[in-house]
Amino acid sequence: MYAWLFRRLPGPLPVRLLLALVLLAAVLVGLFGWGFPAVAPHLTWLTGDPALG
Amino acid sequence: MSAVGVLGELMITLGVLLALLLVWQLWWTTVVARQDADAVLAEVRAALPPAAATTAALRTDDPPVPEPVGHGEVVGVLTVPRWDGLTRNAMPVVEGTTPDLLDRALAGRYPETQRVGEVGNVALAGHRRTFGDSFRYVDRLVPGDPVVIETASTWYVYEVTAHEVVDPSESSVLAPVPKQPGVAPAERLLTLTTCHSRTLGEYGNDQRWITYATFVGWLDRAEGTPEPVLALGGA
Repeated sequence: MYAWLFRRLPGPLPVRLLLALVLLAAVLVGLFGWGFPAVAPHLTWLTGDPALG
Repeated sequence: MSAVGVLGELMITLGVLLALLLVWQLWWTTVVARQDADAVLAEVRAALPPAAATTAALRTDDPPVPEPVGHGEVVGVLTVPRWDGLTRNAMPVVEGTTPDLLDRALAGRYPETQRVGEVGNVALAGHRRTFGDSFRYVDRLVPGDPVVIETASTWYVYEVTAHEVVDPSESSVLAPVPKQPGVAPAERLLTLTTCHSRTLGEYGNDQRWITYATFVGWLDRAEGTPEPVLALGGA
């Protein structure tokens, strides 16, 4: 799957490596900025509301 | 590529995602939350003249009680000298304990409890781990440790008396006389509540760590700064 994606990237090997890194960074930014904050409130086993009652 | 290969890569991806989720929760939420709390603290500090940089004896007559504020508005600033260097100290205290407030590394006052300085119990909630690690080191507090709340006009000094671990539903610890709902209070108390787990310690949230403190005195900001706060190099 990932090998297939990597082969689909255009350009010579250094360009493809750089593109792969940029894509990875974009995924991380998306997860930390939007993905995880959106799912965390639904994972009650993971994030507790410290207030009582 | 074979179906098994794809499945393997998906499972590895899932594992990496879960690991990243933990990194986000245990590290990144605190980075962001502390920036939020710093911004709130800077606003509070900018609006107030610095307290007198000398210490004075605490007063033990009836302290002034601050005016009520709306949900999310700043009540004061909490300083726990024992946590100096361990966690982000000088924590803004806001009105309300909803997650949107506590997730900004703020301490929240339970609105159904008394106001700071009032006879009865002022109860504050904060996160243990994640979102600022606000009350992370609550287990290091020992009886006699000062817990100080600073409002626009006044320092309120409380001293830790005891702690206990209770179930999350045990809201009677917030009563004017903790654990005795309906009993009229005679003392000024402060209660800190945060997450705890008997098995996972600071990482769990199946129980609550409750720290009780009792009022020892107050000081007008214009008259001085309480000695334990001054010892930290000012607030």
